[in-house]
Amino acid sequence: MKRIKIDKNKCMACYNCILACMMEHNEKGKDIYSLDLEDKSNECRNHIEVNHSKENIPIFCRHCDEPECVNTCMSGAMKKNPHTGYVEYDEEKCASCFMCVMSCKYGVLKIDEETKSKIVKCDMCENRETPRCVENCPTRAIYFEEV
Amino acid sequence: MNYVIIGASASGMSFAKELRNLDKNCNITLISRDENVYSRCMLHHIISGHRTLKDINFVEDDFFNKYNITWLKGQTVNDLDVNKKILYTDKRSVKYDKLLIGSGAHAFIPPIKNLRESKSIYALRNIEDALSIKDALETKEKIAILGAGLVGVDVLVSLLEKNKKVSIIDMADRVLPLQLDKRSAKVYERKFIEKGASIYTSAKVEEVILDETNDPKAIKLQGGQIIECDMVIVATGVKPNIGFIREGSMEINRGIVTNDKCETSVENIYAIGDVRGVSPIWPLAMKEGKIAARNMVGGDERITDSFALRNSMNFLGVPTVSIGQVNPPDETYEVLTEEGSEYYKKIVYKDGVIYGVILQGEIDYCGAYIELIRNKIDVSHIKYDPFNIGYGDFFEISENGEYKFKAVV
Repeated sequence: MKRIKIDKNKCMACYNCILACMMEHNEKGKDIYSLDLEDKSNECRNHIEVNHSKENIPIFCRHCDEPECVNTCMSGAMKKNPHTGYVEYDEEKCASCFMCVMSCKYGVLKIDEETKSKIVKCDMCENRETPRCVENCPTRAIYFEEV
Repeated sequence: MNYVIIGASASGMSFAKELRNLDKNCNITLISRDENVYSRCMLHHIISGHRTLKDINFVEDDFFNKYNITWLKGQTVNDLDVNKKILYTDKRSVKYDKLLIGSGAHAFIPPIKNLRESKSIYALRNIEDALSIKDALETKEKIAILGAGLVGVDVLVSLLEKNKKVSIIDMADRVLPLQLDKRSAKVYERKFIEKGASIYTSAKVEEVILDETNDPKAIKLQGGQIIECDMVIVATGVKPNIGFIREGSMEINRGIVTNDKCETSVENIYAIGDVRGVSPIWPLAMKEGKIAARNMVGGDERITDSFALRNSMNFLGVPTVSIGQVNPPDETYEVLTEEGSEYYKKIVYKDGVIYGVILQGEIDYCGAYIELIRNKIDVSHIKYDPFNIGYGDFFEISENGEYKFKAVV
């Protein structure tokens, strides 16, 4: 499978990846002109933490080999696709118990702001060859590679 | 090789899938009393009518075909002969080479006067329970729930949605005593009361008062208080399903005793999930399923995670996460809290180690606490706000691009 690899030392926290993710998941259009940063239905799936040493830490879903979010999901909403290796989320199945939010020890997952009943989760940009965040990263702090 | 599995819930299904992935050619037979696969944690959604039986199936629709598993459904295992390696169900006998016991647990009905004798007493463990509660609700109006743990409160919320008059009773001084402290429990208690619930905490049930047809009329508490009801739902814990195991044939201590490879005291028999009577939570049952399968085909993998003090909940729109020891056992622990109108956060801390966390209202990105608490990772090098510790403080990348926790030196 392919994974978004991370070189934290190259991350400038420019938020191009964040904007890219929001654009890609915007139902009103995928270009920058259609993007409304205050639209809560259009949250970014990944985030950048600043840690105690003031380093920028890109927190992007790993689509883990043994994903704890899948393991912990009692509704079957979180599934690891055996063909792509990606962890897929089905919001119809989801019972909003939030065990996955608690169980991802890398703190990748959050509850959506708008309905407070869904999980905001990276889908690896289903219809693109390269996730849009990777395309938009100007420093190659994130890059896409077979693992 | 003939593998036989008892149980079609989290542990058994997780095991079956992993086993088939590891061994394409073995024979796998799964025996279950359940005639459907469903998530026991979601049965309250059946009562409320939010979901159907099909909606709470947690595996693929064609699971048994897809993984080539023979499913003997609707059969109860009554007897196990470990010497002859034969199981006896209520319908037939089944031979095995290797056996996986994931038979789960059943609701415990406490020895309260008139409780076991009474009609209209329900527990919530199986789909049949959920459906019969749902049926009963067509005529019953005043429901008493015994036990305010996660199951009791799940039921409470679904009954409040149906506009029933519901009373919930617990011996502890708050709802969800294992997961919450008084402050965070209060948030829910207020919301439940607003929706019409009556909450009786620090309350001990003395007896169920029956009418002449043995239907419940009321619950009598110690001290004499009377709570009217026409239906009782019992949510006071579970006991492992081990009735089919012959006395002395296998080591039992409350549940089936296993080692960290999921092996029982009998060769070629493994046990996982609630039937072990320890750490009865979904994620551990799922994990044990995988580990047992790997060991049963010759691997050597250990259970490294038995940390069961972790739960998330989401009642009436308020999410809460509870990890570890959330109520300090003595005064040597430091308790840090932070609160606003919509949130409450609490950390139980001692000598640089976090022992417990409650996060209520805001739980985004909180998972790192699990690892820090489970492994007692020293966080004293992080000088600033312990409420803002995140995975970024322990960031390290594996060869294959996965994350891991950086060792703190």
